Amino acid sequence: MTETLYETLIIFIKIVCALVWLLACTLYLTWLERKESALIQDRVGANRASIFGIRIIGLFQPFADAIKMIFKEDFVPSFSRKFLHTMAPFISFFFVAITITAIPFGDTLRIGNRTIHLQILDFNVGLLFILAMLSLGIYGIIISGWASNNKYALIGGMRGAAQVISYEVALGLSLIGLIMVYPSLRLSSIVLYQGELLFGFLPKWGIFLQPLGFVVFLLAALAETKRAPFDLPEGESEIIGFFTEYSGLKWGLFMMVDFMEVIIVSTLLTTLFFGGWQVPWLASDGFHFPWGGELLLSHVVVVLLQVAAFNIKVFFFCWLQILIRWTYPRFRYDQLMDFGWKLLVPLSLVNIIGTGIIMTL
Amino acid sequence: MIKALRYFIEIIRGSFITGRHFASNFFFRCLKVLGIKTKRKGAETIQYPEQRKEIASRHRSLHRLMTRPDGKPRCVACMLCVTVCPSECIYVEAAEDPDPEIQKYPAKFIIDLSRCCFCGFCVEACPEDAIRMDTGNVELAEYSQDDMIYDLDKLIR
Amino acid sequence: MQEKANEMIKIFIDKEPVEAEQGTTVLKAAERAGIHIPHLCYHPAFPPEGSCRMCLVEIEGFPKLELACSTVVKDEMKISAKSERVVKARKAVLEFLLAEHPLDCPICDKAGDCKLQDYYDEYGLFESQFKEAKEKREKKLKIGKSLILDQERCVLCTRCVRFLKEVTTTQDLGVFHRGVHSSVNIYEGAAVENNYSGNLAEICPVGAITDEDFRFKTRSWFLKEGESICPLCSRGCNILIEYHPGFPRFEVPKRVYRIKARENPEVNDFWVCDRGRYGYSYLDEHRADKIIMNKIEGENVLTWENISEYLGEKIKRLSSAKKTSGIALILHTWLSNEELFLLHKIFKDDLKVEKIFFADLPQGEADGYLLTSETSPNRRGAQEIGFDIKPVDLDALASGTDFLLAFGPFLSGLFSPKDLKAALNTVKRKVLFSSYTHELNSLFDIVLPVALIAEKEGSLTNVEGKVQGFQPALEPPGESLPEWKVLSDLGKELGIDSKFYSELPSPEAILIEMGKKIPFFKKKND
Repeated sequence: MTETLYETLIIFIKIVCALVWLLACTLYLTWLERKESALIQDRVGANRASIFGIRIIGLFQPFADAIKMIFKEDFVPSFSRKFLHTMAPFISFFFVAITITAIPFGDTLRIGNRTIHLQILDFNVGLLFILAMLSLGIYGIIISGWASNNKYALIGGMRGAAQVISYEVALGLSLIGLIMVYPSLRLSSIVLYQGELLFGFLPKWGIFLQPLGFVVFLLAALAETKRAPFDLPEGESEIIGFFTEYSGLKWGLFMMVDFMEVIIVSTLLTTLFFGGWQVPWLASDGFHFPWGGELLLSHVVVVLLQVAAFNIKVFFFCWLQILIRWTYPRFRYDQLMDFGWKLLVPLSLVNIIGTGIIMTL
Repeated sequence: MIKALRYFIEIIRGSFITGRHFASNFFFRCLKVLGIKTKRKGAETIQYPEQRKEIASRHRSLHRLMTRPDGKPRCVACMLCVTVCPSECIYVEAAEDPDPEIQKYPAKFIIDLSRCCFCGFCVEACPEDAIRMDTGNVELAEYSQDDMIYDLDKLIR
Repeated sequence: MQEKANEMIKIFIDKEPVEAEQGTTVLKAAERAGIHIPHLCYHPAFPPEGSCRMCLVEIEGFPKLELACSTVVKDEMKISAKSERVVKARKAVLEFLLAEHPLDCPICDKAGDCKLQDYYDEYGLFESQFKEAKEKREKKLKIGKSLILDQERCVLCTRCVRFLKEVTTTQDLGVFHRGVHSSVNIYEGAAVENNYSGNLAEICPVGAITDEDFRFKTRSWFLKEGESICPLCSRGCNILIEYHPGFPRFEVPKRVYRIKARENPEVNDFWVCDRGRYGYSYLDEHRADKIIMNKIEGENVLTWENISEYLGEKIKRLSSAKKTSGIALILHTWLSNEELFLLHKIFKDDLKVEKIFFADLPQGEADGYLLTSETSPNRRGAQEIGFDIKPVDLDALASGTDFLLAFGPFLSGLFSPKDLKAALNTVKRKVLFSSYTHELNSLFDIVLPVALIAEKEGSLTNVEGKVQGFQPALEPPGESLPEWKVLSDLGKELGIDSKFYSELPSPEAILIEMGKKIPFFKKKND
């Protein structure tokens, strides 16, 4: 009885921690985006939000944004379908937020005689779960476009649907090779496999085993986030997007979903291709360098190192995605479709065949 | 195919350009935050409300009406500014001054700044050098359009 | 005033052959040929003076430059009006004229109309060589009831002196002192006090004489002008109405600023009297711009589209009941010939209405030159059309009138409000056509805003029997329409002679129709 209670409590703490982590990351990703884009463009970036005159390079900006969004009028147009209009952002938010459950943040943590997996739910089909949830998120966008009862919003919604469905194919196919290499759909297993060494010194990370798969997955995942250069559903410069008729916090939810998708994509890239929480040559008792050195560490330090490694990798991919978003101009819609169907899908097929041939050899 | 490959190379080069800007700005900005003075600085924009760019002497800012030594407006209400104004934002009503050397002065001189396009034609047309656009005041936002209508009291300075 | 055409001779101006009348001057001949020779003192109404020296031209065979304004043409005369020598001379003359000119164009009302300004723009554009200070003179000298003389601006063309000598023969102004000190002034204790003083400001080629009425009100280049006929007396002087279209951004409406004379040697020459010149406030003040419906039956909302239908129905009801004696008409003689003709046709010929009165302002005093004692412009026209001009008889009006059509605002000036009210209250239905918002309007059921003479097309017959056509010079305010439109619609609506009215789309057509019926208008119309 107490055992079950502890288990439940631990799960609850894990959920809270993971959600807080995700939301905090989202919050500061907005700040990161502002600052990074500013640095790229030789500006200073958001630095004016202050609490009692203390500015600290604009770190309070996300709170200012949040407060502003909360106090904005939540305007629901009279011509919209009220229920669906209100539901849409929550649907989007829900399906993105739930994917965090399958992400492994670290290996196991031992406290006393209890072993805690640093992952909310260790699915045996975790990878499929994440892909499925990300695809379901598109409902929020379609519904918002439809419920707004506005031409632009509808166009945005339809574009979003078409785009996400197209890139879903490449996204899924690009991972087949990976699943062939690491014969599991369980994300924690995939990460564990990546802890092995190739030729005795190179970590068996996905990027080394599946370089083409990585490129295809990265591009398809960028398209999934619906940010520039794949921002056709939003298209701020032409159709405003599926959230044309949204304001206040509901609009904010859509924005948050955008950033959360960036984080989820980063965690996926980390988990699948960059060894997740793995630190090269770090085993559960410390470093075992291939040239023969050893550095033994206590269990807590190892776990902390692993979690830190995971976070640094995620941060790097967030940074990379923002860099891409602020570097490239948008696609035209036909180019976008061509790119998905005529380049990424064939490339991912080539990757599957190539992987198959190499594995049989 | 080769051509397409060239595009990809260019795309990657593009990210290196933005990456370079990010890196150098990040580096020097970090040094600045840490209080280390360097010869080279990261690119920076002018931090507007605190720092201001000096307005060029030819810049056309808010109008002002010049006065005679005794404080009367120098304007003689010849209405050349009204004539030349392309946005028709000036309205002048003349009145008779008892001094026969002055004779005519503006009883009303109204500029509707919400219509003014700051072309400076009024300044060029003025035969008496009575209107100038050299106040340096460029922050003319108001909460209501009525407040944008400037009359003699607001223009004489 | 038509002179017998003299023998034509041939002269050459700038090598162009030009026809000129025997005995005319070079300047007039050039003007006739469309060549403008600059001049300040010459005015076609007066004999040449030759004091400004601007009109110098080169004539072959003459050793010096000659004055175009006073040199009489000869056959085969070869004149150059633009040669280098001429232009140089003009420049020199201008420089002398400007040597003592204060150049205060910004505060000068003449700026824009000023000939000196124009010529400087055309021939001058030099820097002054004079280092000496300019002579100080009187800048604001009141010389007449609304005239202000600026002696510094004066170029001593003496147009004003000659005007007062030859046209009004009052000789109020003269040139005093000599040399650089010469100046135009009034004689001690006597001011320019006549009914034509306003013309002085108009004929002054520079801004020396300005009009207090127009002084500093606006600038002349803002003004748009329209040709019209002065309706303030029965002379029918030809005038130019100058108005400002208004500043819509500042809610400053359209406004008439001044009246100028329009040359017509058969009526008013170059002049217009002060009454006509300064009495333009009637064009702008208290104008009615909406149809007023004080009392109408049913839920009707009257517009110009259905007004003739409404009136026609009321009249038809009376005429079909053989009760046209119940119809009364109050007219005035500010109506044009065409309108009076239509009224005569509809009410006198077709409906046989008896009670037709004329409400005009009382007669004024004539001044012996242009101004006549008649205060309305078209009394002669009304007589020629066949109206018997009867003054309004309130007792006759009050007895048994069912339907009253009244025109004009003058009724209130003729009777006390109490009498008027009593008389009009006995009338069942009353309609007023008036251009003004006036307390009289409240006594009528319907008040229709109508255009003034300056705003419509038509013709007037002046006191001498001359029929003069006019075109709209201004836009009528708001909903106002000219009366002839309403009347021809009404004529069609009544259906007694609808074919006749349907062929009258414009006042011009009405005038032609009038010529067929009334010989008086026939001969003037040719």
